[in-house]
Amino acid sequence: MEMAIIVLLVVFFGLLLLNVPISFCIGMATLATMLLSVDILPAVTTMAQRMAGGINSFALLAIPFFVLSGQIMGRGGIAKRLIECAMALIGMLPGGLALVNVVSCMFFGAISGSAVAATSAIGSFMLPEMKKQGYDVNYSAAVTAAAATTGMLIPPSNILIVYAIASGGVSIAALFIAGYLPGILLGVALMIVCAGYAKLKGYPVGARLPLKLVLQKVAAAIPSLFMIVLVIGGIVSGVFTATEAGAIAVVYSLMLAVGIYREVKTTELPGILIKAAETTAIVLALIATSSAMSWILSYEQIPQAISAAMLALSDNPLLILLMINLILLLVGAFMDMTPAVLIFTPIFLPVAVELGMSPLHFGIMLVLNLSIGLVSPPVGSVLFVSCAIAKTKLEAIIRPLMPLYLAMFVVLMLVTYVPAISEWLPAQFGF
Amino acid sequence: MNKLLYPIDVVLMRFLALLMAAIVLVVCWQVVSRFVLNAPSSITEELSRALLIWIGMVGTAFAYRTGMHLGLDIVTNKFSLQIQRKLAVVLTCAVVLFALVVMVLGGGNLVALTYELNQMSAALDIKMAYIYIAVPLSGVLIAFYGVCQLYALVTGKALPPVKEMH
Repeated sequence: MEMAIIVLLVVFFGLLLLNVPISFCIGMATLATMLLSVDILPAVTTMAQRMAGGINSFALLAIPFFVLSGQIMGRGGIAKRLIECAMALIGMLPGGLALVNVVSCMFFGAISGSAVAATSAIGSFMLPEMKKQGYDVNYSAAVTAAAATTGMLIPPSNILIVYAIASGGVSIAALFIAGYLPGILLGVALMIVCAGYAKLKGYPVGARLPLKLVLQKVAAAIPSLFMIVLVIGGIVSGVFTATEAGAIAVVYSLMLAVGIYREVKTTELPGILIKAAETTAIVLALIATSSAMSWILSYEQIPQAISAAMLALSDNPLLILLMINLILLLVGAFMDMTPAVLIFTPIFLPVAVELGMSPLHFGIMLVLNLSIGLVSPPVGSVLFVSCAIAKTKLEAIIRPLMPLYLAMFVVLMLVTYVPAISEWLPAQFGF
Repeated sequence: MNKLLYPIDVVLMRFLALLMAAIVLVVCWQVVSRFVLNAPSSITEELSRALLIWIGMVGTAFAYRTGMHLGLDIVTNKFSLQIQRKLAVVLTCAVVLFALVVMVLGGGNLVALTYELNQMSAALDIKMAYIYIAVPLSGVLIAFYGVCQLYALVTGKALPPVKEMH
């Protein structure tokens, strides 16, 4: 087994550092490890079977749907309406525009399920606006990036679906409800930092709008926000599955963007479909090769070995959870979220369960932790997008990100050590 | 080689758009048949899963073509361009080999086995082998794009990007 672990790790990290796409790194490392103990034809046949089998799942179908509806929403003028609504509601508070940025990202992340999409959709509106009012560009870019990660937890969220698959059977509906409180908590923590920072820097406060105008702006955003009610309401009440909710979200976003707001032309649809298929396939390729890898992991009993080794280090659950969190923060700094969830769930979930943590609670902790990775250098997809929109350098936005990292880390610790934040709300719905 | 590239890109993109539209319609039909007609369709779930396998496999090849699969370039971008190119040749060969051995050979064997064993997708009433063909097909496409990439690397001409579809 030691040999298997060594081959797996060396091949995987070797190829990863040489810039081989991660899904192929996983596939090649799995093949190399399998060939240690299995003949080539049965090995490759098993791999092909596991790869196809790994994506042969009705639950996974929700991913292409939420990707597609997110892409339609992203082009459909929805970001603008959400921002104007948030502006009318909280623009007059200290650090108004920064707070508007956070809230818009929470709304948009909730609708699109993608932090990168939220960063580009909200950032391209908010960053010029914040600059006009005298906000530092680097600070604005940092706020947008950090705020966009809230959408990973606030449902519908593709990464929670990926976790549901990787964990082997945590209910998607339960995960979706469980994501709300931690996601909102994260948003509030970021807003507190923003308000404090604005007072310190003396950033301007937005004008209070007359009530009639406020209502008008809110009304314009209602059709967009109604999608959340439709999708989450449908799933939570058990009327339809997450997958069916995804298909309904596609139809609804089409009606909104093409029919009501008229910002997407029907001739653009084939392009949108292809883009969505491509994005979906990137996730599915990772899931396919990871399920081949999880076969060889369990064949060689590697998760059990790691779990035993960790529990031998200490029997203090608080310490082990801290250790898992620190490892995941490091992983998240280098690796994108989907592969990290697929690779580390089978390894750390058994340890967490051994310590008495529920798989639901672990999933929320894992996703929140890796969300911080999305905005951590050297590899952070959200960070890169935010820098590109702000036309600034990565190094320049790290400093203003510091207080925001601190807020995120505090929320991570709260979520790790207070199970109720993740478990109370789903329990109210009978999960 | 490049003469084949564009027609294959176009066919692949049209096929992906079609699969994606189909999967939305199939699952919508499932919802409609359950709620409106009160007669849940028995084939929609299996059909949508089969479509998902095809989107995953064919889309993986397309994403390889567009270079969208996630990688880590913080180490390699420190190397000189010449070394980067040599490295790319070796690693592209590795990807082609992986596609041929695992996806074409392994996937082909999987198709042959499930065909002979007559393994069926129950509600759809077709052989699983037809669904699994997506695996070797994707392998062939990845190998093809990999060879195009190698040709571009060796001749020093960049691989032409995919033309936008409208």
